Amino acid sequence: MKRFDCLKIIAAEAPDALVVTSAGATTLEWHALRPSDGNFRVRTLGLCSSIALGMALGLPQRKVIALDGDGSLLMNLCSLPTIARMHPKNLLHVVFDNEVYEASGHKKTATAAGADLVAIARAAGISRARWANSVEAFAQAVTAALSSNDLSFIGAKVTTERTEVPPYPIDEVENKYRFIRHVEKTEQIEIIKTGLPASYS
Amino acid sequence: MTADEAATTIFNGLKAAGINLIATLPDINLAQLLREVEEDHDVIHVPLCREEEGMGICAGAYLVGKKCAAIMQNGGFFNSHNAIVTTLLQHEIPLLLLIYYAGDMGDRTFSTSGSMTEPLLRALGIRYYVMRDPGEAPELIKRAQVLAQDSRRPVALLLTKEGLGLRVPLKAQ
Repeated sequence: MKRFDCLKIIAAEAPDALVVTSAGATTLEWHALRPSDGNFRVRTLGLCSSIALGMALGLPQRKVIALDGDGSLLMNLCSLPTIARMHPKNLLHVVFDNEVYEASGHKKTATAAGADLVAIARAAGISRARWANSVEAFAQAVTAALSSNDLSFIGAKVTTERTEVPPYPIDEVENKYRFIRHVEKTEQIEIIKTGLPASYS
Repeated sequence: MTADEAATTIFNGLKAAGINLIATLPDINLAQLLREVEEDHDVIHVPLCREEEGMGICAGAYLVGKKCAAIMQNGGFFNSHNAIVTTLLQHEIPLLLLIYYAGDMGDRTFSTSGSMTEPLLRALGIRYYVMRDPGEAPELIKRAQVLAQDSRRPVALLLTKEGLGLRVPLKAQ
């Protein structure tokens, strides 16, 4: 199964979701499929799930999707019991497991030696956690997760095959401002108000 | 001020500064303050397994409009450095850090942690203030929050035993 084919399904099923992508090629492939200011690219390996949790808690009426990787989640496994404990119903956590640190030279991760991320998620307290082993099963899992209105976790074993896509067009600070302005506009709220006086005080 | 009174003063200061999401990991000296966080129903409380995830949770919440604080021991601050550098600093995301100053002068344990706390805050370019009087807390928290928002960076308040009402302040002795 190719990650790109899975991402196409998510783009079609959740066009308006806020989406957090793990450091690496997932970000670029996702951006090519759904270019939006509602995308946030994570630079800290591991923090994808935690940043998505913070968004889901802060905006409980909005769907938030984390597009995570096996190397990333393995570095921050403790995010799983925290997510389970907070249980945000609007969060979908997807992990593309290609069993290597793809962006760091294709060295094997612990999932190549048998670590089962779905079993770990379930044991951490996320009961709606499942593997999807074909594109059809993945599509079904995404539809079920989005219609459940409950916290969901989907593991997808994917190949290491990358799709040729353009580089990410903006840096971290521009990503931050664009994302915030997108949330302000779509949620009709005010987040950053500089309110600078005419002279400083 | 007793530890209970100090905890109430600090927590009310956080609420008055607009803080509405707090990520925490316990230290015995933070027990009274964390009880205030737990018992409040307006602030979203996120109990952490490891402090680094808290940097991510607070960053995500900030991006959708929350005003966040993280309460931890200095050991937790050490645990969080990569997240502070490559998420908070790199994306220019503010965060109020309330760090218990384990290994402060006069403490029996964690002297190595104590010796590294301020140098590491300085190395990361994080502005900080050592709080030794809980009466200062409301105004100090308000100012720290203004600085965090204005500089778009984390700002730290180091919580000492006397700042938490757990030891008599020097000037009162």
